[in-house]
Amino acid sequence: MTKLVAYKRNWPASPALNSNKIDFMTDSQALTVHFPAILASSVHDMKNSLSNLRALISQLESQYPEAKPPEFKQLEFESNRLNNSLMQLLTLYKIDASQFNLNVDESSVRDILNEIVAQQSSLLALSEIELIAECDDDLFCFCDSTLVSNAISTLVNNAQRYCHSKILLSARQEDEYVVFYIEDDGAGYPENFLADSQKSFGIDVVTGNTGLGLFFVATIAKMHRQGSSHGYIKTDNASSLGGARFSLYLP
Amino acid sequence: MKLNLNSQHILVAEDQAVMRETLKHILYDMNAQRIVEAESGVNAIAAMRKNSFDIVLCDYNLGTGKNGQQVLEEAKHLKLLPFNAIFILVTSEQNPGMVLSAVDNKPDDYLIKPFNGQQLLNRLERCFMRKQALADIEIELDQGNLYQAIGNCEKLLAQNDKKMRMQLLKIRAELALKISDLKTAKAIYLDVLLERDLPWARLGLAIIAFMQADYEQAIDGLQDIILQFPMQLEAYDWLAKAHEATGNIQAALTALNQAIELSPQTILRQQQIALLADKAEQVDIANKAYRAAIKLGKHSVHKSSRDFSGLAKNLLKNNPNSNLLNLVSDLLEQFPNDPEARLRAATLESEIYGALGKNVLAQESYEKTVKLNEQFGQEAPRELRLEIAQACFKKGDTEVFDHIMQDLIKTNIDDKKFLETITQVCTTVMGENYAESLIHRVKQELVDINNNGVSLFKEGKIKEALGILEQAVGNLPNNQTIVLNITKIMLHDLKTSGSTMAKVQKAQAYINKAVQLGITHDKIGGLQTELARLASTKLK
Repeated sequence: MTKLVAYKRNWPASPALNSNKIDFMTDSQALTVHFPAILASSVHDMKNSLSNLRALISQLESQYPEAKPPEFKQLEFESNRLNNSLMQLLTLYKIDASQFNLNVDESSVRDILNEIVAQQSSLLALSEIELIAECDDDLFCFCDSTLVSNAISTLVNNAQRYCHSKILLSARQEDEYVVFYIEDDGAGYPENFLADSQKSFGIDVVTGNTGLGLFFVATIAKMHRQGSSHGYIKTDNASSLGGARFSLYLP
Repeated sequence: MKLNLNSQHILVAEDQAVMRETLKHILYDMNAQRIVEAESGVNAIAAMRKNSFDIVLCDYNLGTGKNGQQVLEEAKHLKLLPFNAIFILVTSEQNPGMVLSAVDNKPDDYLIKPFNGQQLLNRLERCFMRKQALADIEIELDQGNLYQAIGNCEKLLAQNDKKMRMQLLKIRAELALKISDLKTAKAIYLDVLLERDLPWARLGLAIIAFMQADYEQAIDGLQDIILQFPMQLEAYDWLAKAHEATGNIQAALTALNQAIELSPQTILRQQQIALLADKAEQVDIANKAYRAAIKLGKHSVHKSSRDFSGLAKNLLKNNPNSNLLNLVSDLLEQFPNDPEARLRAATLESEIYGALGKNVLAQESYEKTVKLNEQFGQEAPRELRLEIAQACFKKGDTEVFDHIMQDLIKTNIDDKKFLETITQVCTTVMGENYAESLIHRVKQELVDINNNGVSLFKEGKIKEALGILEQAVGNLPNNQTIVLNITKIMLHDLKTSGSTMAKVQKAQAYINKAVQLGITHDKIGGLQTELARLASTKLK
């Protein structure tokens, strides 16, 4: 989590925060302590607003029984992205503030994939993209299933932007790891997103627009531990569908 | 399993109209026919009083009144939820299980906003499946039959369903702890830990260390858990208990405060802090916690009139003034028709008037206390009864004092710690020997009755033996020896003169009572096995 600590030092330096307008905090010390907390509660509040916004959208949508305007797809997609990003920021904040730990249980991988497909279902219903989910019914995995399905769901959401028409979501046991794969038939990851081991995996959070999603899933992966091994992610362009392939290894 | 919502009676509790509409839409889309709405916690409870629901979808945030967790606690407390009903708490919190839940009142599942229809359906199906799988355990637990619940849990474990395995192991270990079968519990936790480092298994081991009075080991284990799993809030509660047991109240308070910072809505923890701080005479901390508990209690079944009287007594010591009477009227307003609250209010009133020098009013309130004590005293918590006894003594009412003390000794004869408290109280007012001779007398009475029963049993006079001992249970309801002997005689009777359904049920009730009184598995387990054998072979 060293990256997040570095962030903290940067926050008070930004001009808006040093201005005298925030008069209830006088010295920069107070800003270091309070700003992350304010940020976190604001993100929480934004999530609530977004929830209402989505409820309104779905109500509007239900007024169009058959031919729904294509804008709904975009609305659903964007609000999904927004929600995922907010959720991930909030979780990363809590990890940094020691207010978070994984809630690990033995979960059916089939259930996790079902949850991801369900999360994507309203969006997929509005698009031409096909999401295929494949795994053995008796595959089980020790993990925080809520977090893992959210993290993967975000990446599937991203894949919808870059794929041509198909996304393959699969999971299988490989040695002592359960590996989740997201593959698509798009153009593949650009050069700076490719990483083949957790050690050399570094993402420039400032420049990459999907940096958060990958950073988040990498962080979560690393928190999953068993003995001396921990989870990690890989990105390559070895998809059986010809495009990008993302792999999440959980011990 | 495909779930059909068509026949399900569903309650949707959500304060925002937009969200309520959306939820209804989703449910109607899934074929639901019978949906009731509530826009507040109070209305949700009212709806549950009127109808029995199969599914309750309840938002955590319900505006200014009760929140969703409090609705769940109240519904469970009032037994408004059938055991197979599904209660889902809807929230925007990312790890709700850790932040929102109280230890004993977890919803069947959480649903994190936003979600779509498919997600809701998945969740409902999973809950139904789990409820069905665990029904055999839940039914027995509902009846207080711990051993039968354990038997059914073992049967389910033998089915080797991987989906349920971890959950069943967790339940099995928790049930073992409940009957003080520490060996079995420990074996399960160690096995699970070999497979995976799960915080609940580590917590289980720490609880076992605590139960074996190995507080140092318990503290070590709990601190480790907290370091690695800071949101494992139960670990803070046990850490506080372990520190308290070693006499380190300050450390206990620190642990509870950490938990409260992470999850501020928990009234039970505030109450715990108040009592601990009172014990350590840290009045400011105690009062702050009492105030927090009173505030949180407004919408909670865990609200307690003790919080009011604790606060009032501290304030009275510090600065007696007539504003304290407002606290008394708040107390009565918050607990209408509650005998315990009326007793506390009258006791407080008398003390406040006394401190203000209004002797006539003080006397009036005192007389009210004595009258209420006659009516409801026996049901009052023992700490309040001690207080009333002391007040009576101050007024020279030694007869009432005697009466309460004798009763308290009888009902707590196995509780060494409380007997010490009684001795302390008596020593300050009555001199050293008073309590000791009272306790001695009750113990002698107990020995006499017990021996009498045992001799009758040895003479073969089963009915008479049971008669004497059962009468003693009415008089000394919490004594382990008598309950254990009754159980043994009943089993003997079942063996020699045959079983009837009624006899088996009665024996089971005594075994359940024994477990409840804390008689350990090594003493009662064999009797349960025997009863099960007798019931299955002779009852056809």
